[in-house]
Amino acid sequence: MTEPPRTVLIVDDSSLSRMLLKNLLLERRPGWTILEAASGEQALEIADEHVPDLITLDINMPGMGGIEAAKLLKERCPSAQLAVMTANVQESVRQRVQSLGILFVAMVEKPITAAGVDKILFRFAA
Amino acid sequence: MTPQLSAIQEDALTEFFNIAIGRAAAMLSQMIGEGIELSVPVIRLVRGQEAAEVLGGAERRVCSVMQTLRGDFSAEAMLVFPESQSLEIVRLLLRDSVPLQDITEMEQDALTEVGNIILNACIGTLTNLLSGDFIIGLPQFRLGACSEILAAGRRGQEDCMLLLHIDFRVERHAITGYVIFMQDLPSFQALIQSVDDYIARNVSDVPRS
Repeated sequence: MTEPPRTVLIVDDSSLSRMLLKNLLLERRPGWTILEAASGEQALEIADEHVPDLITLDINMPGMGGIEAAKLLKERCPSAQLAVMTANVQESVRQRVQSLGILFVAMVEKPITAAGVDKILFRFAA
Repeated sequence: MTPQLSAIQEDALTEFFNIAIGRAAAMLSQMIGEGIELSVPVIRLVRGQEAAEVLGGAERRVCSVMQTLRGDFSAEAMLVFPESQSLEIVRLLLRDSVPLQDITEMEQDALTEVGNIILNACIGTLTNLLSGDFIIGLPQFRLGACSEILAAGRRGQEDCMLLLHIDFRVERHAITGYVIFMQDLPSFQALIQSVDDYIARNVSDVPRS
């Protein structure tokens, strides 16, 4: 069965990480739409116009951090699933993300790798 | 003249250090049993004495832990923070395990361990991502005026210094430190070449800015 095209919103202040993740996603899912936000604030603006199926979120970002962005994104797009891709892999961060009650797919440690993206896509499909 | 980084080179180095500091914070968090809030690291490229000004002036008393890195590129990696914060860091790390009167005796050992964790996370992350072959020296602790500390790692007036500003917050304590990569110009150029190679290997649509 062919998987329907999906929309992914990548939220990360690092343009390098966004490019890496976008490349890896499109290699695996060429038909998907990839949206990019360089901050939590920009992610909210995009979520007003689009309905992503999957959001990948960095935690440490200037301005609005990932945890605050996740809370507000949940209100705007409650059906979206969330994957956290972060360098901040403390247990306390994982607990704070899980306590938000979001459709949480995975927490993947940076750097962004093919294995990390595969893990997210596997859990997203499940 | 100070070499310039392109936007994508600066972004890549900031992200590499962000990953490294995140790893170091996870290890320190396990040691102290508390979550650590991290700022987004900011990098700056400076030459010679400019570094002392960024760190608060040549006469400011600072603690440092330094490790050498030798391989495809070389660097003296240094963690620097104000002497006034050193006991606070030690108290956070040791908690109630050491009586108050013994804390100053443990200060040097504890700070060297913090330096070891943070510097190894930075060096390990950089060398793993950039796929080089490197030898890392043992951590060395120093206490003194900023100008003396920086002179210990410098090999010439033309050295490039990559300064990484990091802020940690634990409970009510706010701790500011710097990680410094001190390199001569050929080593700095070799580091940047490694960064360019990493980007070329992993990203196909790099903006030329």
